[in-house]
Amino acid sequence: MGTQLFTFGAAFLGSAVESVEALTIVLAVGLTRGWRAPLYGTVAALFSLGVLVVVFGQLIVQRVPESSLKLIIGTLLLLFGLRWLHKAVLRSAGVVAMHDEEHAYQQTVNQLQDATARHDWVGFVIAFKGVFLEGIEVVFIVVAVGGTSKYFPEAVAGGLLAMLVVAVIGVVVRKPLARVPENTLKYAVGIILTSLGTFWAAEGMGASWPFDFVSILFLVAAYLAASQLAVQLVRRPVLA
Amino acid sequence: MNFIKSAASQVIGLFVADWVQTAVIVVIVVAAWYAISGLHASPLPVLVGLVFLLAFQHVWFAVAEGRRDVGPKPSPSPSPR
Repeated sequence: MGTQLFTFGAAFLGSAVESVEALTIVLAVGLTRGWRAPLYGTVAALFSLGVLVVVFGQLIVQRVPESSLKLIIGTLLLLFGLRWLHKAVLRSAGVVAMHDEEHAYQQTVNQLQDATARHDWVGFVIAFKGVFLEGIEVVFIVVAVGGTSKYFPEAVAGGLLAMLVVAVIGVVVRKPLARVPENTLKYAVGIILTSLGTFWAAEGMGASWPFDFVSILFLVAAYLAASQLAVQLVRRPVLA
Repeated sequence: MNFIKSAASQVIGLFVADWVQTAVIVVIVVAAWYAISGLHASPLPVLVGLVFLLAFQHVWFAVAEGRRDVGPKPSPSPSPR
């Protein structure tokens, strides 16, 4: 039950963050140039991402031996999670600017205003590129977390549900979701993925964790403490 | 072509922000794997060491980058917070 919950939660939160960023691009194209082209672009990107999930999901679950899978995917998850955590720490400490959806929206609108000819293709390509590139991270999270934990349907459900929730909110609100605490979400997902990555990488090495899956909570606590310490140390003023 | 380049750099960027940090993480994981599988060391101390080193490098690289970005700027303006 714990593994299922972590798998679903990691996929849901990771997908939610990336969906908010993709939504900003689609909204910018749709509200500036009309909805047909960006919707086609979004559907095409989602289809491509779905193919990637199915192909890599099947490949990973059926072809790779369990211990190698845990070691390789665990290490990749560790790298992926620590990258998110690193960025979240620097944002929390005020060193790196927070991701600003209003700014991202305006940038896409400006890009569209420069391109006047064949607007249907421009709208299609920008929406496709935005959704596909943001979605690659979701595909990795879903395939890695779902494939390694053996709860692939839960991971896919988490990713899809987050996408759906963000899309519905976007349709209702019709403006960038600037109030979503993206950095907090990335911080949380970074800690969860780093913990899962450490857990599975060690199992792939042949080690067994004390208390089995419960030890993930200790890993979460350890990485949370370390990143809070990093935030405090980065915030401390530097003496010239 | 641009799109393929963007996709490729996006895929590499999923795992690598700083090549040195990535190398350090991989070395830590490989060392733990060697200790458990090759040297047949007792797993618990290795796991504790693995988590400690991973957490330590995380703090180290975050502080190093934070200080690099905030520290040696010519204008004497105070830190943002």
